[in-house]
Amino acid sequence: MTDMTWEKPSQPVAAPRKGERTKFLIGGILIIAAVLYLIISGTTGNTQYFMTVASVQNSADYVGKTVRLSGAVIGETIQYDSQNLILDFTIANIPQETQNLALTLHEAVSDPGAARMKVHLENQVKPDLLQHEAQAILTGALGEDGVFYATEILLKCPSRYEESVPDQSIKSET
Amino acid sequence: MLAEIGLVATLLAFFTSIYSIGASIYGERISRKEATVLSGRNAAILTFVLLLVAMMGLMGALLNQDYQVKYVWSVSSPDMPLFFRITALWGSQAGSLLFWSFLMSAFSAVATIINWRSHRRLMPYAIAYMMAVVAFFIGLTLFIENPFSRWWILPNNPVDSQVVDAAFIPSDSVAPGAVELASSANGLNPLLRHFGMAIHPPMLYLGFVGFVIPFAFAMGALASGDLSTNWIKASRRWALVAWLFLSLGLILGGRWAYDVLGWGGYWGWDPVENAAFLPWLMGTAFLHSVMIQEKRGMLKTWNMFLVIGSFSAVIFGTFATRSGLVESVHAFARSGIGTPMFLFWFSLTFISVGLILWRRNRGELKDDHRFTSILSRETLFVLNNFIFVALFIAVFWGSFGAPILSELLMKTNITLGKDYFMRVTPPLFAALYILMGIAPVSAWGVSSARRLGKAMIVPLVLTLLSLIPFYLTGVHTGGALVAYGIVLMAGWVAIFETYRAVVVRVQMQSENPLLALWSLLRRNPRRYGGYMIHLGITVIGIGVIGSTLFQMETQKTLAVGESLTIGGYSLRYDQLLKGQIAEDGRMMDIAEVTVIRDGQELAHLRPRRDFFPQTQGLNTMTISGAYSTVENDFYVLLVDWEPINQDAATFKVYINPLINLIWWGSFILILGTVFAMWPKELLPSRVRESALAGALVGKGA
Repeated sequence: MTDMTWEKPSQPVAAPRKGERTKFLIGGILIIAAVLYLIISGTTGNTQYFMTVASVQNSADYVGKTVRLSGAVIGETIQYDSQNLILDFTIANIPQETQNLALTLHEAVSDPGAARMKVHLENQVKPDLLQHEAQAILTGALGEDGVFYATEILLKCPSRYEESVPDQSIKSET
Repeated sequence: MLAEIGLVATLLAFFTSIYSIGASIYGERISRKEATVLSGRNAAILTFVLLLVAMMGLMGALLNQDYQVKYVWSVSSPDMPLFFRITALWGSQAGSLLFWSFLMSAFSAVATIINWRSHRRLMPYAIAYMMAVVAFFIGLTLFIENPFSRWWILPNNPVDSQVVDAAFIPSDSVAPGAVELASSANGLNPLLRHFGMAIHPPMLYLGFVGFVIPFAFAMGALASGDLSTNWIKASRRWALVAWLFLSLGLILGGRWAYDVLGWGGYWGWDPVENAAFLPWLMGTAFLHSVMIQEKRGMLKTWNMFLVIGSFSAVIFGTFATRSGLVESVHAFARSGIGTPMFLFWFSLTFISVGLILWRRNRGELKDDHRFTSILSRETLFVLNNFIFVALFIAVFWGSFGAPILSELLMKTNITLGKDYFMRVTPPLFAALYILMGIAPVSAWGVSSARRLGKAMIVPLVLTLLSLIPFYLTGVHTGGALVAYGIVLMAGWVAIFETYRAVVVRVQMQSENPLLALWSLLRRNPRRYGGYMIHLGITVIGIGVIGSTLFQMETQKTLAVGESLTIGGYSLRYDQLLKGQIAEDGRMMDIAEVTVIRDGQELAHLRPRRDFFPQTQGLNTMTISGAYSTVENDFYVLLVDWEPINQDAATFKVYINPLINLIWWGSFILILGTVFAMWPKELLPSRVRESALAGALVGKGA
């Protein structure tokens, strides 16, 4: 019955001594301070600003600074060197995200006037989702040469599972 | 037809759930008629039956391939095998919301039936709360994301908007032809066509909806004023059930990511993953601190906050991930459920916190004891809770808090990347493991440092001994050894504490050790199940440290017959099988490779790339091949091959040390949880008698 040893029947317990209370207080404050420090330092060191292609391109301030960038992938520009795992493609500026992501992306890549930016990634397995009119979310920095050197890529395809409508031709059947 | 039945059943369930709320509250508080309360209870059970019918209706429509139903059209296609037709039920938003409502009503019905007699005073209120949540979710499926809505053609509309979807027949419309719809049907998202993905969402949903029960009991206690340990007793096991499923869901999700997503990892600190992790953290904190309330009558207000926080986190996570609030790889479609979800979450949290503060102000949540010793078990438990909540805050801040605040206050859009989590969470996890090593040997009330130190000697020695193999296999950095040591210590304490109890039992009852262990597990399932969970968490921790700190990767383009080497292994490229067609219509390009170590051929792997010709959007998948041992996983991806000359193919290879311990540890964890929630009442009489005898001797556990 060893397990009984911890279940001491509860005895009436007096209020903690003053010394103990101070200990609790100091301990609590120390822990809270440590956690706060951890969170704050983690935040300031790792904040990435989410930018649009246009705003990064228009300001020299961003050269060499790590930012997160979102753009629409232009399919025909995708080049993949599978021997060296080097990925290059171009993204178009997404002016404003709307409810209909598919339409936004489509308009972005079709607009010849939209700001465009070359993207370069190394040591990268070509993601399955990288295709025409996908939304690329890139982490990296703009180089002096105007190419965005990304270290991380995240892709979103407007899932047509939700937004699509059958082809209008189905109506001819009935 | 099946869809119509489903639609009608869902509508009826909406009304019965609302009726159940009204009847329960009115009967209990105002008219005080038992019959009214009972009819409220029965309406709650009826809601479950109706939602079962609704779900069967949707399932039937999927199996029957009714492509006129928009949902069926968008998640399945004629070439899909039966298994994925069934799992398509939760393959997309509308279906998963219905499934979610159904699971929630099932939990509510079971809780109502099981707990009705034992917690009669709480139940009407608990039912009202459960049904309020169920009604909200049914409302979402009915009015915003209706899985039963169908395609219609409006010939009088302009040409490009003649096809519409609606739950009820629009006027002047004609139904489209089934054959034409079938040929254009979408099919399930290829990423979801995986066994892990087939069961990961239901497990996660079970975990999510499971927290509604403890929440409802807590709210029932606050509303009824029955603030004894009653609600704790009723909700504790339910919280464990929810926790079990949530853990399973998280683990399966990680496994799916590892198998399917092809980046060699299992957890990416993505906001959607974090959204599922948050209730887990809060729930784990609750499962620990609830013991203090049971044993010492302390932390009453705190426990209320934890239980309500867990469920609030579930709803917030659902809202945040399905409304497009944060950027995530989990491409849930943005939809109209964002605003109602947010309002629901806000009012739910507001009401709950308000109720807690009201009862607290009336002095009804006063603790029976106070904290006395800094080394007592309750203090360590509080510390554990502190850390869990700190982790909760850190993860919440990183995934949602900082991005939302910066958007609102500074109009800048920021994210805190993986680096944030990799910096902030390890110290907190380390603190949890340290506590996991100390708390089980401490005592309630008062503990002395010397007694504690004495109890730790053996586990400490075992920890040091077990670090030797790590050192010999190349772990030489101090940080990594300390990390392994902290984690191992927690596991050894769990094992040693169990061992000591077994020894005592062997001596006193002269049982053989295995039987003694079994009796312990059944006599005190929560403690020894709990230790087993600790052991599982330890094994997982070792796997996480190994695979995070010591992962190796390489890539190379090989001609047939050539090899690459990494971490003592070599990989030989044997041949490429192009254009293999699978049952569900996917085309596979398979590379056959051989894994070799010390001249021994260990395994033939078939990494491949799948192409789904019928699917638009995402239509390729990279499926890894893996050779698993305790030591590591040899994980290989077929990156590409030369289209002209099929001889050369490029491979990416990861060596993930100790990663399998994550899955094995998970198995131990699940087993431990099952033991921990096993009802004592089901024990065989022989054991029950001896437990009773034990309880008479000392004040039993």
